[in-house]
This record gives sequence, structure tokens and C-alpha cells, in this order.
Amino acid sequence: MSKLMDLSAAVAMVQDGDTVAFGGNVLYRSPVGAVKELIRQGRKELHLVKTAIAYEADLLCAAGAVKAVTAGFVGYEGEFGLCRWYRKGVESGAVRAYENACYSVITALRGAIYGVPFLPIRGMKGSDLLDAVGFKSVTCPYTGEELVAIQAIAPDVAFLHVQEADEDGNACIIGPSYEDMTIARAAKKLVLTAEEIVPGSYFAEDPHRADIPAVVTTAVVHLPGGARPCAVSGCYDVDREELRAFLDGKTPEAALAAAGIEGGKH
Amino acid sequence: MSSNSISRTADLMVTAIARELREGESVFHGLASTIPHIAIQMADRCYGKNLNYVNITGGYKMHPEELRISTDGDNLFKGTKCSFNLTDIFDFAARGRLDTAFLGGVQIDQTAHLNNSCIGPYAKPKVKLPGGAGSAVLVPNAHRALVWRTKHDTRTFVEHVDFVTSFGNVDKVFTPLCVFEKRGGKLELSLLYPGVAYEKVVENTGFPVGENYAVMEDLTDEERACLERLDPKRNRDSEF
Repeated sequence: MSKLMDLSAAVAMVQDGDTVAFGGNVLYRSPVGAVKELIRQGRKELHLVKTAIAYEADLLCAAGAVKAVTAGFVGYEGEFGLCRWYRKGVESGAVRAYENACYSVITALRGAIYGVPFLPIRGMKGSDLLDAVGFKSVTCPYTGEELVAIQAIAPDVAFLHVQEADEDGNACIIGPSYEDMTIARAAKKLVLTAEEIVPGSYFAEDPHRADIPAVVTTAVVHLPGGARPCAVSGCYDVDREELRAFLDGKTPEAALAAAGIEGGKH
Repeated sequence: MSSNSISRTADLMVTAIARELREGESVFHGLASTIPHIAIQMADRCYGKNLNYVNITGGYKMHPEELRISTDGDNLFKGTKCSFNLTDIFDFAARGRLDTAFLGGVQIDQTAHLNNSCIGPYAKPKVKLPGGAGSAVLVPNAHRALVWRTKHDTRTFVEHVDFVTSFGNVDKVFTPLCVFEKRGGKLELSLLYPGVAYEKVVENTGFPVGENYAVMEDLTDEERACLERLDPKRNRDSEF
């Protein structure tokens, strides 16, 4: 059965208060189209999850749609600097920063994949993040070693932007896949936005071709340009002017308007 | 700040790091890591160190034609013979296989605590910083962490960091003025860049730097030419 649907119907699966994960990394293959639709639909109190996040967090924080962010890194690269609206949110107390190591985000998602409540992780000892964020430790029943225990995170909905998907929800990622395959398997519901919808026969030609198996996919949206102004390998580069216009917005309303979202601030 | 120009400083910093890398070792840099990335390229392409170089994109032993400021884009992946992604890299480090990881620090103190999280208290920060990315696991898990920071002042090199994002196997810290080395658990000045006065480091560091240091040998003509070929657009200046 086809899982193709339009963007608004797919994004409407997200409820206020949900934990939402995004694929890609910083300015690459971020599911921006879906994020803008979350803002248009007026979602609130979202808990965002991603290893290294930038534009999605900044857009959603500008819109007042975020309650917490679980990430190892929240910021742009190079010339674009810090995520201003995320920063303001955290500094004012409106947004809770669950600062992780990128590896602990991956471990939390793996916990969900494995169906266990937590997984031990090597590292993080000596970090003030343990107390500040509330990470607990666990003693190995075999060796007695104490390890940090990372609580599993199963995102209510995850959004990945991919180059190629079929209507069943098999998908192929061209270029770096970052943590997308992990996110896909950890989420309760998975929405793919795709540059191109390809026939299922494309995947049948080589069963190893699908990075994302349809088994875990809930919805597929045909959304060319769905990561702009972020880059998609083989399709388009970062649109520096559009990003700069958003970053130059002096107020959340002005920034969102520059990103093409009118009246987005709740 | 330094008595050297930005471009001169960038060349010294990149070269100091490139010389530090060891033949054949496994090495990782993350995102927003322009200087370490160029240093790795220099180590491989100028000195032939044949590094087992991995990066966030999953690319392995990448020597892209064109270097970019961004260090997690597809130019560090296209043409790789295998994909070894970020999860693979963290796992590799967790089981003790990663030799060297490059990490940044917004604040760094004498015991080599790194702060990338916040200025002021975590719960109500004066400035929320982007976060340490992989540092809380890579600093303890990699055999050694090489740290770089393109500012050298008493707000960066402090007596005590506001917040410990990560702690562990910091070996050296590369700054625009010098290189610090961890000796007996404490960072001390080990290498002063040519053209930089010792007093300048003392004045701009919030902890005692010691007096046991050498002056870095200047770039050779070969090193200069190689760096120019590698990075003609001078992306290496962009971090300053």
C-alpha cells in the first residue's frame, strides 16, 4: 500500500509535546520543509532530538515551538555562528537544554532500537553534564565497573529528508548518511520527505540499495527542495543568502518572515 | 593579539598541528574543524604520514581536491572507498582503537578541563554555547585529544572553567601564540611560535605557563609551498 501523502497530513501526525527527531547534520539534508510545516500547524512544546542540529532548532525556537533540545551540538558551522533563537530560548529559561555528547544521543536512540530502557556508554566521566542534565550511572553486574547509563529515547515522530524514496517507504541516501539509519529505526513513526519518488523496481534491482527499509516507514512525502536552504548532496548546495536573511532577522517574526513563514510566532 | 598577522598565525598553527600528527595513526575531526582538517591534509599530502583519517561524513582517508570551510559536507565523502560513519567512529574510540581526536574548547583551564557548554551556571547561563559535540566521550576515549582554539586570552585560558564539558586525555592545546602540553596533569607552555614573545603568552593566560619551552622552527619553503597548494583560498584564516 502506498504511504505517499501530502506534507500537511504527514506533519499532522505530530502532537503538541511530542519528541521529534530530525535527520541530516547541521547544514546538510536537514528536513526544513517539514520543520516549517510544524510551525505553520502551530505545534508547541516539542522536544527536539538530533546529534548536531542548527537551522531546525533555530526556526522552531524562533517560533516558540520548543520545550527542550537533546543534542550534542546546537550551532551552525563556520561563518554562520551560534543558533541565536535557541540561545535566547535557553538563556531566558523558555527552552531546556539537554546537552549530550553526540554519542550519547546515538546511544539513547540505540536503546530504543534494542527495546531496552537504557544502555551503558563508555566515556562522559568527569563531565559536569552528568549532574547538570541528570545522567545516572550503572554498575556492571559482571565486572563491577561503573558506567554512565543513557536512557533510551524513542522519538514519537522522526523526519528524514532523502534523495530517493519509493511509495512504500524504501529510501536511498546519497552521500553522507550521518545518523539517519539509526533515527529511522528508533522512531515510533517515520516520515520521509524525498527529492524524488522512484519506482519500487529500483530497490528490487538490488535489495541492499535501500538505506531505509520500508518496514519502519510511516509516510512518504514528495518534497523537492525539502532541505533548502540546507544542502542535499547531488541536488543543491547551502543557500547562503536565504540562511543569512533568516539570521539577520532582528525579531523572531522578522527572522521567520525571512524564512518564508508569516505569523509563525505563537 | 598576536604579534603575527592572521594569515601568518594560521600557517603556524596548521603546521604545528600537522607536524604533531604521527605516521599511520587513526585520527578524527568533527564539524566546524577547519584548522585540524587542513592540518590533517598537510600531514598526509606534505609529509606523507598516511593517516587513518576518519570524519563525520563517513569518508575514509579523504583528500578532496577542493578544501572547504565546512568540515562535515559531502566533499569529505565523495569518492571514499568505504563508509565509516560517526557511530562507527564513536564505537571505535569506545573500544580503545582511536589514536587521536581533535576537539575545541571555548574555555580551557590548567588541568585541561574543556568547556563548550555555557558561560555562567548551566541552569541559567549568561551565554549558552553550542555544546561539546563528541568531546565528553572522545576526550576520555581517544588515546589522546588534541585541542585547538583560535583565541588566546585570559577569557579562554582561565584558572577554572565555568563548566566541565569534558575531561580526560588532552595531550596538547594549539593556540594562536603557542602550544601547551599536559605535563604531570597540568598544561604548560611547550612550544612558542616564532615572532611571539614569551611575556605575551604569560599575560594572556589565566594560569602559570612554566618556563620549560622551545621555540617552534619556522615553516620551511617546502611547507609554505605545500600549504599554499593545498589551501590556495586560505580557508585556514576563516577561524580567526
